[in-house]
Amino acid sequence: MEAIGNFLWSIISFYNFLLIRIVIVLVLMLLTAAYLVYFERKISAWIQDRLGPNRVGWKGSLQSFADVFKLLLKEDIVPDNANKMIHTLAPMLALFVAFTTYAVIPIGPGINIAGYEIPLVIADVNIGILYILALTSLGVYAITFAGWSSGSKYSLLGGIRSSAQMISYEISMGFSIGGVVLLSESLRPIAIVESQSGWMWNAFVQPIGFITFLVSAFAETNRLPFDLPEAEPELVGGYHTEYSSMKFAAFFLAEYANMLIASTLIVTLYLGGWQIPYIETLGLSSGLVVALQIAGFLLKVALLLFFFIWVRWTIPRFRYDQLMSLGWKVMFPLSLINIVWVAFLIMIFKI
Amino acid sequence: MPKIKIDGKEIEFKQGQTIIEAAKDHGIEIAHFCWHPKLSVSGNCRMCLVEVEKMPKLVIACATTAADGMVVRTQSDKSLAARNAVMEFFLINHPLDCPICDEAGECKLQDYTYKHSVGESRFVEEKVKKGKRIQIGPYVMFDADRCIMCSRCIRFCDEIAKDPELTFTKRGDRVFLTTYPGEKLDNLYSMNVVDICPVGALTNSDFRFKSRVWEMSLTNSVCTGCARGCNIELWVRNNEVLRLVPKYNEDVNSYWMCDHGRVNTFKFVNAKDRVDGPHIRVEGNLVRVGWDEAYAEAASRLKGFSKDEIAVLGSAFATVEDNYAAAKFAKSVLGTGNLDFVKHVDPAFGDDILRKNDITPNSFGAELAGVKPSKNGNDFNGIIKGIKEGKIKALYILEDDIIAANTELESVFAKLDLLIAHATNFNKTTVLADIVFPASTYAEKNGTFVNFSGRVQRIRPAVATLDVDRALEGMSMSRWDKFGTKFDRWAQGKHFDARASWKILVGLASALGQKMKYGMAEEVFLDLAANIEAFNGLDYDTLGEFGVQLNNLNSKPSDKN
Amino acid sequence: MSEKNIPAKKRIKDLTLLEKVYVPEIFKGLALTLKTMLRPKFTMEYPEEKFIPPASYRGRPILVMEKNGEERCVACGLCARVCPPLAIEVQASETENEKERYPVRFEINMLRCIFCGFCEEVCPEEAIIMSMDYELAFTNREDAIYGKDKLLVPVNQSSDKIGFLRSYR
Repeated sequence: MEAIGNFLWSIISFYNFLLIRIVIVLVLMLLTAAYLVYFERKISAWIQDRLGPNRVGWKGSLQSFADVFKLLLKEDIVPDNANKMIHTLAPMLALFVAFTTYAVIPIGPGINIAGYEIPLVIADVNIGILYILALTSLGVYAITFAGWSSGSKYSLLGGIRSSAQMISYEISMGFSIGGVVLLSESLRPIAIVESQSGWMWNAFVQPIGFITFLVSAFAETNRLPFDLPEAEPELVGGYHTEYSSMKFAAFFLAEYANMLIASTLIVTLYLGGWQIPYIETLGLSSGLVVALQIAGFLLKVALLLFFFIWVRWTIPRFRYDQLMSLGWKVMFPLSLINIVWVAFLIMIFKI
Repeated sequence: MPKIKIDGKEIEFKQGQTIIEAAKDHGIEIAHFCWHPKLSVSGNCRMCLVEVEKMPKLVIACATTAADGMVVRTQSDKSLAARNAVMEFFLINHPLDCPICDEAGECKLQDYTYKHSVGESRFVEEKVKKGKRIQIGPYVMFDADRCIMCSRCIRFCDEIAKDPELTFTKRGDRVFLTTYPGEKLDNLYSMNVVDICPVGALTNSDFRFKSRVWEMSLTNSVCTGCARGCNIELWVRNNEVLRLVPKYNEDVNSYWMCDHGRVNTFKFVNAKDRVDGPHIRVEGNLVRVGWDEAYAEAASRLKGFSKDEIAVLGSAFATVEDNYAAAKFAKSVLGTGNLDFVKHVDPAFGDDILRKNDITPNSFGAELAGVKPSKNGNDFNGIIKGIKEGKIKALYILEDDIIAANTELESVFAKLDLLIAHATNFNKTTVLADIVFPASTYAEKNGTFVNFSGRVQRIRPAVATLDVDRALEGMSMSRWDKFGTKFDRWAQGKHFDARASWKILVGLASALGQKMKYGMAEEVFLDLAANIEAFNGLDYDTLGEFGVQLNNLNSKPSDKN
Repeated sequence: MSEKNIPAKKRIKDLTLLEKVYVPEIFKGLALTLKTMLRPKFTMEYPEEKFIPPASYRGRPILVMEKNGEERCVACGLCARVCPPLAIEVQASETENEKERYPVRFEINMLRCIFCGFCEEVCPEEAIIMSMDYELAFTNREDAIYGKDKLLVPVNQSSDKIGFLRSYR
């Protein structure tokens, strides 16, 4: 018995309780994504002078689960002209990217429970930022695959738009991150967060970079005003026109998971991550500080998510040429200017 | 010809005509209640007051003889004012009953209230009440409140029905129409007073509250009650005949028809005992089968008899087309000369007005269409004799319940090996029949009848069957017929699975391997017009609204009565 | 003659520099939606909270049932005649009552009815009126045909409507 117990314990405690951390993060992500859908509908309703879903559960709070259940029961339709393998692969890829990206985002500083030093991040990778960039650019494959393999002109147009859009905005995104990396001198997310102590949040230090990254994040997540790949009025549903049932749900989930990723990334890179300015000067116990910091991180993420939704229901979609000219003629130069600005700061203040 | 000027229009008139008659002949309507072209002039309604130049006062157009050079104004201020005043007087005591009045929609008083009244009454006192729902005759309901004392009904009974039963009693606003003591309004033509009553005082108790007139379609046809062939209108709602109304035809029935024709000649059309679909006798019971099956059965059984063993009986109830097809079917398809039809004569039925002793609509037509034995063939008596002797084993009867007319034949027909009957309703003949084909009634098909005097008149379909579609056949349609769908209960009137007799014969001939190339009734008629001298040159268009009198007749009408 | 002589006209759609920068306009839009978001909503949550119509409301047509349990209707058929979508069918018959005539069958096809109120307007007896009842749901065509059993409503339940009709007559 003891041997089995020891074996199990060794598995559970492996690499500072990695499995438990993975499970917690996954569950949190899925729940957040589900409730994001609910809040998206609620907020859109309020903006449009409506009440929004209010039938399933208290104030409609179980609406997302009803939706998921409905989608589960739907027939899975694959068009005759589809490339069946890639058609099936695409939503899996989308979900994979959305979930794995989260591995390197730190929720808070490490905590010490019963002698175990537990970092509040799944993988503390020293090239975490590169990892994120690599995976998000992999995400475009999911959409392009979906668009191409469906065998439908609407889907194909959506997929093509998506790839063009992603490439255009990934450049300004990368340059914006360049400014952050210059300042923190590290590609490790925890180091980036720690470099933003006090009010030295990157959003204040390099506001142009913050804005370009924010806009690029919108574009990367295919959210309005950048949702051209799935523009309903023109493309029916864009790349997911030909998807139904759980495959469609996978895309849907991936979109909201991506939104969460984008928010946590922005918080990590520009809004000081879990940091609450000057909290250590208040003389609180270390446990309470950590708890407050985690809460602060979650609050920042929540506010950003609200901002995402708020923008979606306020601003109309760009035209394709506007999208391109914004990406190449505005965002790209601005992010370059930002790098120069950061370099200038480093040169002057020797930070 | 002398001339008279009415409303600036100069018209010619015949000497002795009144102003209203002269105007009517030229399409000018002068408002009137009590005047009727076929009744004597009473002049008591005062509605037809017109202004005549050089006359000191307004005159009533119905009682003023037209004179050469007269100038009449029907629309002058004075005559308009007079008509308004007369209408106001009428409406003083006339109840506002229209919602419950059967006359509504075809009421002269209603129409004239819109046309000639100011639409306002100054009368605020109590209206005179005289009584409602008085059954003054077997078919006529009287509402004394509504009566405007025009006396048309009284004059009709005196002059047309020649049976004075009605009169006025009392005076002033208490004038009351009633029957003579001990009398009832029960002459044979009593229901005509319903038609001529300009208001809803006299209504048809057979039709009472059955339907609103504006919900019905009407179709011109011919009454089948006797050989007179009175012109009628069939009033249909939801594919059901609800009433018959006489239609004017000066050469046949003028404006009238008898109560028998009006009440008793349409109810079988929608009766419960209608033959719905072909029937074959299986183990003693008639069983409904499909048309093809019935044709095949009839054909195979007819083939089992030699030509002389088969006899065909036409029908005086069927149309000329049906009889012509039957004659052709007997002679060229079956090859038999045993061909005749049965006359139905009721010596007690006829009278001097309209009714004829021959109680079939088309006995003359059946005769003219060639339903008679060939040289070697047997006539009706011969056929009966042949059946009794066992020489004739198969009998084919068109729409005629021969056994009901002569019950002695029941035992005779029982000897037959095969009895095929066309029938509209199940009757005593179909009880014995082996195969019964459902025949369309006169209200469901196109065709012609020849009346006792040799007048060919059209009948038209008014009731749709599975064979005859209301819209496709161009039948008359009410608003409900036009817009009803299969989901509306009021458009689901029963459609019987019946066909015109000539059409059944065409089908049967084809099952026997012979061709009778008729697609519609008019084709049968054109074939008949080409082959039978009396009908030469006729078609449905030349028959028109009033029919055509046959002149080149070989045989004289038999029942002159 | 040349086009250069024509002075450039200022068009409404020409944007100012501030508008071209776009960012302030975004915040204007965000402020507007935020304001709307925080406003109280007017939605009536129907099955829990019911709309009480004013007396002039045209709900489903009903037949007025007198206190003695009989309909006012005399089956004159004017409603059926005036009904634009032919929703009403009336079959009259005779009664021993003073009114002589009554509808032995009175059916309104609620699928055909367009709630125009012509029947109410044309009725000489104030017998058919548009009720306040707007809750009409059926699962098949047959259920949508309302006979006398569903149409007859006691007169005291419609006093508001009858009062309204009389005040505007």
